[in-house]
Amino acid sequence: MVVGGGVAATLFAAAFGLTMPHLFGRRYAPTPYDDLLATLVDREKAERLGAVAHAAEPTFRPKAAARELRQRLERRTLAEVIDADIKEQRVAEIGGWVVPESLAQLCLLAAA
Amino acid sequence: MNAFIDARTISSGTILQPDIAIIGGGPTGITLALALAGTPLKVMLFESGGVDFDAKTQSLYAGKVGGVSYLPLDASRMRYLGGGTNHWGGWCRPLDPIDFEERAWVAHSGWPFGIKELKPYFRRAQALVEAGPWRYDGATGAMATVGPLLPLGDGGVYTSWFQFSRQRDSVLPTHFGERYASDLKRVANLKVFLHANATSLHLSADGAKLDLFDVATLNGKKFSVKAATTILALGAVENARLMLASRDVMPAGVGNGNDLVGRFFADHPIPRDTATLVSFGGDLPGYYFNAYDLNGALMRPTFAPRDDFKRSANVLGSLTTVESAVELDELGKAAVITTALSFGVDASNAKAYSIGCGLELEPDPDRRLTLMGDHDVLGMPRLKLSNRVSDADFARYRLTMKELGRQLLAARAGMIRLNLKSREEWVSALDWGDHHLGTTRMHVDPKRGVVDANSRVHGIANLYVAGSGVFPTYSASNPTMNLVALTLRLADHLKRQMR
Repeated sequence: MVVGGGVAATLFAAAFGLTMPHLFGRRYAPTPYDDLLATLVDREKAERLGAVAHAAEPTFRPKAAARELRQRLERRTLAEVIDADIKEQRVAEIGGWVVPESLAQLCLLAAA
Repeated sequence: MNAFIDARTISSGTILQPDIAIIGGGPTGITLALALAGTPLKVMLFESGGVDFDAKTQSLYAGKVGGVSYLPLDASRMRYLGGGTNHWGGWCRPLDPIDFEERAWVAHSGWPFGIKELKPYFRRAQALVEAGPWRYDGATGAMATVGPLLPLGDGGVYTSWFQFSRQRDSVLPTHFGERYASDLKRVANLKVFLHANATSLHLSADGAKLDLFDVATLNGKKFSVKAATTILALGAVENARLMLASRDVMPAGVGNGNDLVGRFFADHPIPRDTATLVSFGGDLPGYYFNAYDLNGALMRPTFAPRDDFKRSANVLGSLTTVESAVELDELGKAAVITTALSFGVDASNAKAYSIGCGLELEPDPDRRLTLMGDHDVLGMPRLKLSNRVSDADFARYRLTMKELGRQLLAARAGMIRLNLKSREEWVSALDWGDHHLGTTRMHVDPKRGVVDANSRVHGIANLYVAGSGVFPTYSASNPTMNLVALTLRLADHLKRQMR
């Protein structure tokens, strides 16, 4: 079932027994990548993943990644970009989790 | 009815003279004996154990293990009538066509024939292991009506199916000794000797023929068997031991002129918790964990690489099963939430599961059995297993699992965490299938195989080796049903040869 991100996030929180006090209220300092990070429904979780990815890939170049992501997202939604990643075998690992490459890069940017 | 004969009552010095002698009363020996029923051939089967476990007999298996951790040699086998089926799990699945092919990316691969040679024997083998009607991958549609399969996007991995052996009264699985004891006794042209240990093979002076073999019992009796044709059916480990230990004519051991006997030992590594699989849609149907009875066929799904993916990604066989529910850690929860929400998928009922698997190993001549200096109470040299698993074997499976993860994402159905990365992690997670394979491999070229395409030992006219020890490559499929099929093929060959 496809639902709105905010609703799904709340349902997730319930399912995993999570408390998400910042879901609707957390403020982030401005970054050069806010346009990209706005595509994430739960930036806090993405940041957690990104921190792990950073540890494994310390040479990550955020500006180059952001440039590439903007190109991919120019006329497409994040879901469409991710679908394309999967079809084209572009997957990455974050702490062993196999995720679409664009999503992994967004997570890295969230933690940058 | 022919009662089983206790070899301990045979007078020392006796020479028995059957047409066919089968050494070993496991699934191979029992299958062969039953398949030769009703022929004019006088058949004798020699089993080391009795009809039940006996610690003193079992201790004859003791040996040493070096290298990668493995069960002790006297714990990974069972030395009494029924052999390995006395402790098997009943898992059945036929070999795949690619398992028989010579594959450029798999050293030493290739059987002397294709799956067409075995196909005519699969149904009879299936009946002998009592795994119900032949369904396997044909069951997918029917099982989907029982409960929805976890969807996979297009790609290199598909949902395949195990079937399971079962005995009467639904007791899993079929123990060949117990199940077929009365059938063996009813075979008029068969005599079964229990407590009879083959201790040495004696070749003719020119080495071209097996003249006779010695039998010893634990109460001190010694007699000989001079058969027109002899089949070694002791299991992959003990076949090699008997051949290597028999050196009176061939100094390196019977059939070992090219230093191949005991090499290429293999088993199926079964690493625990190799991955965590998350189903976004929640609980998977119960048949993912416990076999489901589909009109007499006990079915359980497994994720298997397709043959074309094996070719394109240069991976080997693997069979991955969903094992048990697990809790996600905080990073796992973050991964699931972030990924599912990026699709706009509701994963509020998501469930996580631990994944297990059985792996095919690449043939390795240095994963091998050798004789040691010490001996058992019957004077047989004990064995040492030098066990090895290459990093490439683990890496190949990881590629397959990554592809499975990609396909789960493609279907927006779930995702995967690969739990094992370093060699240390893989090795510490290893269990083994106790599926002994490959020590007397089959090849048309004597320099590359111990037995020919008919399982006859190269250069020895009347000596055959049966069972999974002749498998040149191993597949990820469990061997029992397949080795029974191969044994039925051997029985047809022997009937033709001895007409």
